[in-house]
Amino acid sequence: MSPLVALYITQGLNGLGYGMLLFLVSSGLTLIYGMMGFLNLSHAFFFMLGAYFCATFLGITGSFWISLLLAPLAVALVGMLAERFFLRNLEHNELGYIGQVLPTLGIALIILTSISLFWSRSLWIETPRLLQGVVSIGGLSYPIYRIFIIGLSLVVLIFLAMIIYLTRLGLILRGAVSDSDMVNALGVNIPLIFTLVFGISTWLAGVAGVALTPIFFVNAGFAYQWALETFVVVIVGGLGSLPGAFVVALLFGELHSYGVQFMPKLAPILMFLIMVLVLSFKPTGLFGKRG
Amino acid sequence: MKKHNGKWVFGVVLLGILFMVPRTLGVFNADILVGFGINVLFAVSLNMLLTAGLFSFGHALFYGCGAYATALGLFYIKGLPLLLALLLGGFASGLLGLILSPFLVRIGGIYFTLLTIAFNELMYGIVLKFREITGGESGFSSYSVPPLSIPGMGSFDMGDKASFYYFAIVIIVISIWLMWFLTKTPFGTVLLGIRNDPERVAYLGFWVPGTKTVIIALSGFFAGIAGSLLALWINVVSPESCLHLINVSIKTFLAILVGGLGTFIGPFIGIGIVHLFNEIILNYGGIAELFIWWIIILYLLFAARYTPWGIMGVTAKIVNRWKQTRKTEPDNRELTD
Repeated sequence: MSPLVALYITQGLNGLGYGMLLFLVSSGLTLIYGMMGFLNLSHAFFFMLGAYFCATFLGITGSFWISLLLAPLAVALVGMLAERFFLRNLEHNELGYIGQVLPTLGIALIILTSISLFWSRSLWIETPRLLQGVVSIGGLSYPIYRIFIIGLSLVVLIFLAMIIYLTRLGLILRGAVSDSDMVNALGVNIPLIFTLVFGISTWLAGVAGVALTPIFFVNAGFAYQWALETFVVVIVGGLGSLPGAFVVALLFGELHSYGVQFMPKLAPILMFLIMVLVLSFKPTGLFGKRG
Repeated sequence: MKKHNGKWVFGVVLLGILFMVPRTLGVFNADILVGFGINVLFAVSLNMLLTAGLFSFGHALFYGCGAYATALGLFYIKGLPLLLALLLGGFASGLLGLILSPFLVRIGGIYFTLLTIAFNELMYGIVLKFREITGGESGFSSYSVPPLSIPGMGSFDMGDKASFYYFAIVIIVISIWLMWFLTKTPFGTVLLGIRNDPERVAYLGFWVPGTKTVIIALSGFFAGIAGSLLALWINVVSPESCLHLINVSIKTFLAILVGGLGTFIGPFIGIGIVHLFNEIILNYGGIAELFIWWIIILYLLFAARYTPWGIMGVTAKIVNRWKQTRKTEPDNRELTD
């Protein structure tokens, strides 16, 4: 294999890893935005909270795997409490969707201030021993940890798809999206369901946060950047469309990877360019149905 | 008739006070007032969009466009007069508004907000990456501000803080007056209609997308003038100071929300509070910053529930209740008699 082809393939694999990571973070957001119609600006901050919880649990237990289990649960607990106290009964407020966005911005700021109060600002943890090193596939070397992330993202995708399309909860969710009042009239406790969905969504953010910590430095600016990127993914993919978010996340991963190589100047703005085009010609997103 | 006179008296007194500021309060305070005025001008231009129900989260786009147009214009065009440089900033932003409005007027609601965010970030990315022209992150400062030459009165050096104060205040007052005047015209009424019920306005025979285009271009023009003044004032333009999504766009949006969305006084109150907070943080440091931070958080969490129309809304409520009690008092007396 010529070195150039090898380089291209490596870039493609890196893009795949990045895209999967992007999907991992966006999946929770697409659930909350699509199902509840809630533009949750604090999602990326819950994701960052996951990373900091992971560091804390790692310090207490010393095991990455236990942290991977506990940190997302802690994040989900915080998320459900936040939803219960600040995000209830906002559907008919006088400011419309702006009124729904404001409290999520407030939650984001709470997380940001809490992090600067309780933890050091920047954070990095070691990759667990099991996942260190690289594998070589046909002469190409690829970090094991990236393969772990790809696997984790696929597990999340299947888990979410099963919840939405196979379970009774998924049925209620899909019903609540099209007619919330009707589902409520049928005796389903919609507020409880929404708290549960918010919990699942923030749990996913927590998982992504834990998975990301060993390969990125985490700080406040980091959440801001990821907040923008995940938003672009969810919007371009389409409102609440899980396949849409998956495809677009992978697309952006590759775009990021090859863009840096071929058009280093344009790479960071390509995403927003695509978002502008999609919003201008198909505001519901590439795979979205609901207006 | 009496009320009309009152307005004129108020205007003349205000102009008199503004004229006296550098002499009585000193040049340093006058300079602070210029910064406040520029922010208010930008906020009022954004408020014009909000009045029409176009919730833009990316208005810094026009602010930055005006600032960079003036800075680059002064650098590349030799001997560009001051007023033309200022208008260049305004017209560049207005033109940008016209170019972007075909995208912006077609969609409503949350998608409009998201699209403005995307345009803001696009502009930020472009300015950051094309560093040969714009100077990238560190900003662009290799331009000099020309003196203001008025025929028959001589020329004024804009490096002099007092001269610049008078120049900036005149521009700011004229711009804000024009925008205030616009809300009193029938066009302003159509804008309110578009916010409340766009379909009905369309049925009445108004061309809604066209009206939106005009308001986006006008709002862009005045935001560009504000950005242009900023470039002339601090003699450096950087993406951080005039294009940042959170520090400029969303911050100004929230300031207007605190003051009172869609009211003309709202932006003044909101920007005043922002400046007050900045002064407090500057003087009292860390603890004050944390305290203010939590005030902002509490506001964000509960604004939509309790004070959706900001300080102006609360004031209106109190005034209404006071008027009602005053009205009902004589009635009660009649009943008891």
